[in-house]
Amino acid sequence: MNNQYVIKTTGLSYQYSRGVKTLTKIDLQVERGSIYGFLGPNGSGKTTTLSLLLGLLNKQEGAIEIFGQHLHANRLNILKKIGSLVETPSLYGHLTAWENLEIYRPVYGVSKERINEVLTIVGLTDTGKKLTKKFSLGMKQRLSIALALLPNPELLILDEPSNGLDPAGIIELRQLIKKLNSEFGMTIVISSHLLSEVEKMVSHLGIIYKGKMLFQGSLPELHQFQHYGSRLLIKTSDNTAASQLLQKYLPESDGAIVSVPYQNQEQVASINRILTQHSLDVYLLHPKENDLEQLFIDLTTAQS
Amino acid sequence: MNLVYAVRSEILKTKRTASFYLTLIAGAFGPLMSLLDILMDGLEGHPPEGLLNEMFTKKFEMTGVAMLPIFIILVCTLLPQIEYRNNAWKQVLTAPLSKAHVFLAKFINIQVMIVLFLLANQFMIFVDCVILHFKEPAWQVLNQPIDLKKVVLTLVNSYGALLALCSIQFWLGMRFKNFIIPIAIGLACWFFGTILALQAKMAFTAYFPYSFHVHDGFPNYRPWITSIGWMSFGYAVLFLVLGFLDFRKRRFSA
Repeated sequence: MNNQYVIKTTGLSYQYSRGVKTLTKIDLQVERGSIYGFLGPNGSGKTTTLSLLLGLLNKQEGAIEIFGQHLHANRLNILKKIGSLVETPSLYGHLTAWENLEIYRPVYGVSKERINEVLTIVGLTDTGKKLTKKFSLGMKQRLSIALALLPNPELLILDEPSNGLDPAGIIELRQLIKKLNSEFGMTIVISSHLLSEVEKMVSHLGIIYKGKMLFQGSLPELHQFQHYGSRLLIKTSDNTAASQLLQKYLPESDGAIVSVPYQNQEQVASINRILTQHSLDVYLLHPKENDLEQLFIDLTTAQS
Repeated sequence: MNLVYAVRSEILKTKRTASFYLTLIAGAFGPLMSLLDILMDGLEGHPPEGLLNEMFTKKFEMTGVAMLPIFIILVCTLLPQIEYRNNAWKQVLTAPLSKAHVFLAKFINIQVMIVLFLLANQFMIFVDCVILHFKEPAWQVLNQPIDLKKVVLTLVNSYGALLALCSIQFWLGMRFKNFIIPIAIGLACWFFGTILALQAKMAFTAYFPYSFHVHDGFPNYRPWITSIGWMSFGYAVLFLVLGFLDFRKRRFSA
């Protein structure tokens, strides 16, 4: 039994209809105590993967281990330790916040006091007899998280939890996720199609596109990956001559701008020296860091 | 124990729903009509003796043939709709409950609603009798003897005859997200089942679940009553098993 990983999938594949693979050999590895950002554009297979992890879909190919146990052999024991929110909130609109939690309280075998605790964590203690259907989307989302927290889970799976939230709501959610991880030691998997939304809180990332994992690793590993994609944009009095002079850097040119990959500032200075020593006027020398968002787009578009 | 928790959850979910109010209103409807009939038309020459028994048995027959099956068709659709309407299936199925418990708990919850319907109905019949007792003191309705065994048998037979219809409708209600489909199928089958048994008197209706209530409700059609009860139970088990197998293999992804 490997305790390092809370979730470990091996060669997980799935197809909704014959011949059209939605997931292809997904090897997901979520370390204990991490916040794992599961990224990909809409339709890339995030929800399908999470649905398989939660047993909402039956596994077709590959293996799923959660807490070191095979999911399908120990589904109920595993689900006792997982809290989840899959896309839109699953709440009963005709019931109050307290009643919504009371439905599941005995199922998870927790005390009534726990309901007050989770309502306090998400800041919904003062909703009283207000029916859930009259809640704002942000409140519904927070109540759904309270529901996910009810069993005091070791693993929290949140599928696109910021859908429909305003910027303030997104910041609030981010703070809550960090708090759950740092104060309660929960391992959290959070899926999103926006890198900017999760990069401020995750420790690990997985990028999925068209059902295939493009990248998986820690945030520093992604930054390292990112660094290799940085380019220097150059505009001179003669771009054709500049391209020839910088041949060893493998330049790309669209006529108006020449771009070359670069590693560090010294390289920028060196390139500038080469150009000026050959009597070229340098109008623009712009080091363009490949930000994570750009990297995400590059990674996903390179595959399409 | 998990099944008990699952049933408890299902009952809690019906709080403040249309299904709950429908149960009370539908249960009270038949007795209310009977009361209006007696108050407006009188007893039409019948002696008032035995009125108390008649209220709880003969007057219940119309409820058993029309109101109760229609109620079951509606409630079997409305209760599973709670999950579809609130987009809550995925939450239900990620709770640590087996699918068998989830499925059974929902069916048991429907049985609880049917029992509530019958209780509301019997209570309203009792209210009818109280009103008649004071409105027509000469009839002495509340002083008449009551055959409790017959009353209980009437209720049990009506319930038993509708078990098959209930399990089929439950399956349909769980199967279709669009609530119109199970209701339309249920009402159409109930209508034809009733007409075929009452008017055409076709023998096959003794095997058709949507006709069982007629055989139970009207004494003239009662020669099959014992076999109807067993057959209804058999159908119920069969369709519950088929319904569960279908439920188990369905996809409930978001």
